[in-house]
Amino acid sequence: MSIRLTIDDVEVKAEPGEYVLAVARREGFAIPSLCHHESVAPIGACRVCLVQVTFGGKTTLSTSCNMLAEEGLQVVTDTPEVRAHRAMNLELLLARAPGSARVREMARQYGVTRTRFPQVAESALANCILCELCMRVCSRLGHDALSAIGRGDKKRIGPPFGTPSERCVGCASCRSVCPTACVFVRDTATSRTIWGKTFEFVLCKNCGAPVLTREHRQHALAHAGLPEDYYDVCEPCKQADAAGRFANVVW
Amino acid sequence: MTAFASSKDLDAYREKVVKSRPKGRREIAVCAGTGCKAFGSFRLLDAFRDELAVQGLDKKIVLRPTGCHGFCERGPLVLFFPEETLYQRVKPADVKEIVERTVKKGEVLERLLVEDPATGKKFRTEKEVPFYKHQRRLVLKNNGLINPNTIDDYIAIGGYSALAKALMMGPEAVLAEVKKADLRGRGGAGFPAGKKWEVCRSQPGDTKYIVCNADEGDPGAFMDRSVIEGNPHSVIEGMIIGAFAMGAHEGFVYVRQEYPLAVERLVLALLHAREHGLLGKGILGSGFAFDIKVKRGGGAFVCGEESALIASIEGRRGVPRRRPPYPAVSGLWGKPTNINNVETWANVPLIVGNGADWFRGIGTDGSKGTKIFSLVGKVNNTGLVEVPMGMTLREVIFDIGGGIPKGKKFKAVQTGGPSGGCLPESKLDIPVDFDTLVREGAMMGSGGMIVMDENTCMLDVARYFLGFLKSESCGNCTSCRDGLMRLHALVADICEGRGTEQKLALVEELAATVKASSLCALGGTSVNPVQSTIRHFRDEYMAHIRDRKCPAHVCKALITYSVNEKCNGCHVCARQCPQKCIAGEMKGMHTIDQQKCIKCGICNDVCRFDSISVA
Amino acid sequence: MSVNPANRPTPPDASQTSSGDALRVLAGISGRVPAGAARTGSGGGMLTVIPRNCVGCRTCELTCSFVHSTHGRLARSRIKVREVGEKRFVQMTCLQCVEAACVAVCPVEALARNEATGAIEVHEGRCVGCSLCEKACPFGHMRFDPEAGLAVKCDLCKGEPMCARFCPNKALEVR
Repeated sequence: MSIRLTIDDVEVKAEPGEYVLAVARREGFAIPSLCHHESVAPIGACRVCLVQVTFGGKTTLSTSCNMLAEEGLQVVTDTPEVRAHRAMNLELLLARAPGSARVREMARQYGVTRTRFPQVAESALANCILCELCMRVCSRLGHDALSAIGRGDKKRIGPPFGTPSERCVGCASCRSVCPTACVFVRDTATSRTIWGKTFEFVLCKNCGAPVLTREHRQHALAHAGLPEDYYDVCEPCKQADAAGRFANVVW
Repeated sequence: MTAFASSKDLDAYREKVVKSRPKGRREIAVCAGTGCKAFGSFRLLDAFRDELAVQGLDKKIVLRPTGCHGFCERGPLVLFFPEETLYQRVKPADVKEIVERTVKKGEVLERLLVEDPATGKKFRTEKEVPFYKHQRRLVLKNNGLINPNTIDDYIAIGGYSALAKALMMGPEAVLAEVKKADLRGRGGAGFPAGKKWEVCRSQPGDTKYIVCNADEGDPGAFMDRSVIEGNPHSVIEGMIIGAFAMGAHEGFVYVRQEYPLAVERLVLALLHAREHGLLGKGILGSGFAFDIKVKRGGGAFVCGEESALIASIEGRRGVPRRRPPYPAVSGLWGKPTNINNVETWANVPLIVGNGADWFRGIGTDGSKGTKIFSLVGKVNNTGLVEVPMGMTLREVIFDIGGGIPKGKKFKAVQTGGPSGGCLPESKLDIPVDFDTLVREGAMMGSGGMIVMDENTCMLDVARYFLGFLKSESCGNCTSCRDGLMRLHALVADICEGRGTEQKLALVEELAATVKASSLCALGGTSVNPVQSTIRHFRDEYMAHIRDRKCPAHVCKALITYSVNEKCNGCHVCARQCPQKCIAGEMKGMHTIDQQKCIKCGICNDVCRFDSISVA
Repeated sequence: MSVNPANRPTPPDASQTSSGDALRVLAGISGRVPAGAARTGSGGGMLTVIPRNCVGCRTCELTCSFVHSTHGRLARSRIKVREVGEKRFVQMTCLQCVEAACVAVCPVEALARNEATGAIEVHEGRCVGCSLCEKACPFGHMRFDPEAGLAVKCDLCKGEPMCARFCPNKALEVR
């Protein structure tokens, strides 16, 4: 069964359970967002993907990331009102994450080059916009090593109770998905420190370069079902080794 | 204790209880609600118990701890039956005399009666007291009559007969009755309960849940607490009837841990109901099974929002999610779930028992029945009031509330708690119902009503609510979390003399975004206090900004204390000043060192000659 | 998805004799690539590596870098020319294994085969940047871009491998 809706007066189709943002992007409509990621459930935190929706005769604003497509829904992705509220939300976020190039660029597109609000002073994590992507991805990966702490203007993100988590494996996916690049990871030749916890790397059997953390290897072994020796050698060494063996066959 | 196997058993039990209580029996009912408990009513109960024992009257006279009577301003309250004499502000020291004279001889102690502060007139019974006279108490009616710790009292006044009737009617008929009654949810938004029930009932599947939302978090609101504390069985009966109509077999009461007395009485009431076969398998011998669990919340305001409440019951962080799907379609653990507030559930047995037509006869076209308000702030009679929908604000505040203390001028009333709005004097004659209040920029909310007088600064009010909400937002949405934080800072700036017209414009612009782009009702309504005060009291904002003055003399940064010519040099202010910044010879004119003054106002409070000027 | 260890992609068997036919070498290398699995869209052929023709000019790397990013940084190339002896080179690129370790290890199903081209592609919207695919590939063909926080791999240019098109020495061909 397929749902029909319109986006900017163009009729598009969607499957039941699909969100408006996903449908719009698939159909080539541009809607900005910061807290959205396809691998985790939407929570509508950043409020940048606001669109105007008309359904059942009622016109309102809604975030598109967490709004389900409905038969007969009319979506307008750009109105003066939508732009104004996106701009204000981006101005609020700019005061939280002045160091984020992505937020600055997105704000600039809405005419916001500076924020009228003072920078958030005592932010636990500089440039964090509290979108919870790190935390949601961490849960999705089965680690659950991050949590939202406190509420309201005291909300912050970190390991539960603010102490290093036993469940963190040091995979640093949180850093990968962070829209403002605010997750701090310190790697040395033998160790990684993240969220206040230090991990030892498994070192390449050939060259001694870091491959991945011991805990991450353990977790991968337990869940992916691949043989143990897959994680023993670094990628360049693996490739060099394979190249040598290929050569033996070819020549 | 044997469980009732049929409604006949219930009727027989009721007859037995009523028979054991002869009419005209002498009773002392002491309010044991949280308000009166704070005034020492538990100690008062002990004093009565001891005194009755000493006098050898403990077998003859029934001493009854009851739920909240509503007139919390005058607690602890004590009622004497059969005369229905009402005593207020009773202390343990009064007990001996009361037992001696009122209980034994039937005399009335004038000094303990409620007195009209304006005329000095004394009232002997509840019915005469203006506070009660103008009310229409349906849900609260039995609060002062029954002991919430025993099921017998509730059964004796006809409790659970609505349930028996509902079981006879069948689920469709019960649903039809509630729909016909036009009962609107008392939790805030006023959504028709019958419609919600119907959606839940029509969902496929056998597993459905019903929830009682007792997460009352508005500052100054306590009607739900009082209903649970005073008459827990009425809520339980409503829930059983609702579950029967919707085909649910499991229910939850989500109540905050800050309500220990409500939790205690609710748990006890559930135990009693279970023992009597009113909960569990085969309720009153029917094939219907239902039970209720109590879930204690940690006291987050946002958990009163139904989707956050569901998350909290499920053991997750209390964060609202986008609706639809509504809980009636997908709620607790993805199953259809009906959530109603305490007061809504307590109305259900009344509707089923008395019929929808009776209920429709009360209230206005759009809002049927009564509504309980907690009337607080600058009003003579603070407490819980239950009035028919459609009564004007003026009647509630002046006729029931007795007007503003110390002859001061009424300035505004805030309805609907932190999400509500402030209405000025010009709106006093609007009827209190769901739709009118929303139209005027306020809302019914769960029923908070905070009265403000001329000494209240409206910016200070806006700042207070913004401060409350910025801490109680779940922190999910940028617009609500950061928006409220910024609004609070901006309004505080204006209060502290750093206001500019640009800042006020930014407040208005930002408030519009917070309202339009936040996910849940908390965010969507959070700016009502600031928007409504700007709408109705813009002059006061401008006075803070342009003249750097706080007309109500509240904002410390904008006021100065000085000594005027009325000073006779008594030196009392100088002695009380914590900063020791008042100087002057005995019997000579004093002066205040403005550099050191912290504007605590103590000099003004202690001066008996009106010689401190505030500007 | 998991890979049966007995079926795992293995490095080439050194005892396997070579006919010098590169196409068969590729099939032999992965041991799991049936004809057509790494076929390309238009010609229906397979991206074929002929190391004996490779002179190590790295045009393929440069082409790949340009096609897949605007920066043209060689380090971002998905194909890598490896020197395996005196003037002997092997161009290392993804074999698009049938039972691929990268697909098996991905916790968010961000790697999937494009049935039109046979290439295993990274669905960038789904990738959470855990880098496990990079660690798991037994041939070292996966890349992880730490700046973008995304896995990077050969996608056969949606059916038109540019490395083959620009190889000046017919060391990479679609056959």
